Amino acid sequence: MNNNFFEIKNVDFSVGGKTKVRNVSFVIEKEGDIICLLGPSGIGKTTILRSIAGLEKIGNGSIELNGKIISSEKVNVEPEDRNISLAFQENSLFPHYTIEKNILLGTERNKGKKDQKISFKEIIELLNISQILNKYPHQISAGEAQRASLARSLITQPDLLLLDEPLSNVDQSFKEEIQVRLKKILNTLKITTIIVTHDSYEAFYLGSKCGIILNKELKQFDDPYKVYHFPNSIEVVNFLNRGILIPAEVTSPKSLENEDLGTITGNFIKPFPIGSKVKLLIQPEDLQHDDKSNLQLEVVDRKFRGTNFIYTLKTLNHLLIPVFVHSHHIHQHEIDEKFGIKRPIHIDHIVCF
Amino acid sequence: MTKGMNFKIINVWYLSSFIISIIVLIPILTVFSSFFEDTTNYFEVLRETFFLEYIFNSITLLLGVLFLTFILGVGSAYIVSFYEFPGSNFFKWALILSFAIPPYIYAYSLFAFFENYGTAFTILKFLFGDGEYNKHIPKFSGMFGLILSLSFSLFAYVYILARSSFLYQSQNLIELGKNLGFSKFKSFYSIILPAARPAIVAGLSLVAMETLAEFGAVDFFSINTLTTGIYNAWIAFDDLAFANRISFFLLLFIFILFLTENLSRKKAKFHLETKGGFKKREKIKLQGSKSIFAVIFCTLLFFLSFIFPLSQMLYWTIKFPENLFDLNIIDLLMNTLYLVSLSSLVLISFALLSNYGNRVSNKKILNILSTLSISGYAIPGVILAIAFITFVAWFDENFIKVMGFLSIKKVFIGSVLGLVIVYFVRFYSLAFNGIKSGYEKMNIAVDESAYLLGYSKTKTFFNIHIPYLRNSLLFVVILISLEIIRELPITLILRPFNFETFATTAYISASEDLLEAAAVPALFLILIATFFILLTSKYILRERDE
Repeated sequence: MNNNFFEIKNVDFSVGGKTKVRNVSFVIEKEGDIICLLGPSGIGKTTILRSIAGLEKIGNGSIELNGKIISSEKVNVEPEDRNISLAFQENSLFPHYTIEKNILLGTERNKGKKDQKISFKEIIELLNISQILNKYPHQISAGEAQRASLARSLITQPDLLLLDEPLSNVDQSFKEEIQVRLKKILNTLKITTIIVTHDSYEAFYLGSKCGIILNKELKQFDDPYKVYHFPNSIEVVNFLNRGILIPAEVTSPKSLENEDLGTITGNFIKPFPIGSKVKLLIQPEDLQHDDKSNLQLEVVDRKFRGTNFIYTLKTLNHLLIPVFVHSHHIHQHEIDEKFGIKRPIHIDHIVCF
Repeated sequence: MTKGMNFKIINVWYLSSFIISIIVLIPILTVFSSFFEDTTNYFEVLRETFFLEYIFNSITLLLGVLFLTFILGVGSAYIVSFYEFPGSNFFKWALILSFAIPPYIYAYSLFAFFENYGTAFTILKFLFGDGEYNKHIPKFSGMFGLILSLSFSLFAYVYILARSSFLYQSQNLIELGKNLGFSKFKSFYSIILPAARPAIVAGLSLVAMETLAEFGAVDFFSINTLTTGIYNAWIAFDDLAFANRISFFLLLFIFILFLTENLSRKKAKFHLETKGGFKKREKIKLQGSKSIFAVIFCTLLFFLSFIFPLSQMLYWTIKFPENLFDLNIIDLLMNTLYLVSLSSLVLISFALLSNYGNRVSNKKILNILSTLSISGYAIPGVILAIAFITFVAWFDENFIKVMGFLSIKKVFIGSVLGLVIVYFVRFYSLAFNGIKSGYEKMNIAVDESAYLLGYSKTKTFFNIHIPYLRNSLLFVVILISLEIIRELPITLILRPFNFETFATTAYISASEDLLEAAAVPALFLILIATFFILLTSKYILRERDE
């Protein structure tokens, strides 16, 4: 018997006999933790949530909540008996009830519970949906429906809350604010939550742990910082799409050599024998701009991201390298102009494959 | 912790779906098995004399009715969907009132109006005094009268489906035509009509099935078709096997029709999915002679399809009021209500059970069984009734009597139970599809949310589904009522002794050449049916933005 709050052990997640994600294992150690599952659309993230909720059965392995098996080959606690709430991505509001009634239905489950941690009013304010309470589901926008559905899930105060792309239909202008409010309330109420999303920034912000699902497998399950800075496979690098892999040769326990960039020093995350030919991950933050440097590369693209620019630079061997520059940087470089890279190049944590 | 309940529930779904499918399959199998049985020599006689006539008449009737319903249905749907003219909103729903007139009542009116010394004669005499009008009044009897009766009574199938297709046609498609510089006529036949083709073909298929199944009007005009052939083989020659043998040919005919329609549809995709919602198209305002033409066309169609038969029945009822008192209206009404409520209850219960089973278990086999179980609507009532009698007689002879029990014939034949079973087979698709379309509007995530809120399957069904499906259920009950009130052959063949409905009373009077007496039950039938149509018109004519 372990003390983990929630645990998935070697589970294959399938729909209609078709395996979507294989051999998944991860734990949520303590109550109140927030986990995010990241992956491209259609990869099986929703299937995982549906299986945890009991809406799909599992053929092998086990899912445990509070030390009790809720799903396995032999055991399948019915969804209505799990006290797990799932906020669906699509509209799951009861079409013949008003939004208010829809949300209040969520309280039925908690009747008799003494410790109501959050009131109806607080949830309405939190999600800013007071103006739609008297409307019916078909009269509100997709974003509003998603927030109403979220409200209904929150008010049930479940043992485990599952959120399927909870903010995918929410306006960008409102999204960050909701993210902040959501994180605050989940932390305050200590509701253990698994969030499925394809937005890495959302996952990195909300989750204390992130799981990356690619090619039918849970590729990495770690802190957001580690997932971003220490990706454990080329697939994860490609999925996060925040860097480039360039050829290099390991020259010492603390350095590598690339034909275009020269010597790169730093700490290897994983040791490689000297002389190994590797692929080195260069992320936009790894290189620094220096106009006076003798390493000058050609600008082929410039993306303005509000707080920063991402320059794409071309090397002599036609590698395209991204470089992050603060948007308040004194001057801008145009396409085809030269762009200096500070030398010697030092990367704090070297990720190679 | 595991519940064994799911397993049991799924078995209930399977069992009910199996029972429904078997009940529906019995008449079909009976018809097919009879093909290998001996019949009296009547078959030989008929094969050499009337059988070809049956087929020829059926085809002539079918082609004539299809042609006329296409012109009337598509023409009226086009005019009311695309144009605005005085009364266009009125005609939009007024044109579906023709549903209230069964073909046989139309046939009585048509015949009676134009017959020698009929209503037309009386009107002319009233207007112009005595005269030799009879030889100038056209006679609508025989095949031509039959085609007219069926067409005016059935064109609304094409009208409703074509209109709804015209309404939902992608705005882009129509604007594209304008952009390419197409004339209105060219837009109509090269864009609008092909895009509405599946709907029009579906409407025409319904018309075709109703035409092939029609008994009352065909019998009234004494045209020998496959349907009347089946009835006559049974009633006049007491040859059930031969009746079933003709049924086999008729079913084959219907099957080919079905197949042709399906094959032709698979070749192309007919509509574009428009994202971002339905854009309501502005109707073109007609002016001058075009407006007058539209008004005349719709008025004439409304008059001929509804007002004309209604007035004829009303005229007779007023002219011969004694018929009104001869008839026990309360009894007829109670009988009709009894059949309607019992059948609705059975149909809705099974259709709900089956739909809910499909929804929660999502098994392919259940879907197949459901598809099978709704096939009864394609089988003419005469075939169903006679095949049912054949089956009960066979089952009684080979099983019940062999086992030493009392005969069960009386329980099923000439009883309300038998009547309800055959209605069930014939109208199950109405109930099933009506509830299915209600369910389709409800995302499955709604059910799952309910489970996750702690609702059991039963509680979800009663607290979420039933309140949500309330309108669909009401619509289904009204549709079933409408069908049962108008239904003739099944009721005629299987009803208990001395148990009459408005339809059978009208038929019996008409078949005894007492058309004036048929007018009273026919009038009541029209009025009740009109009431039901008006109740459902909102659903039948619903538009996406409403």
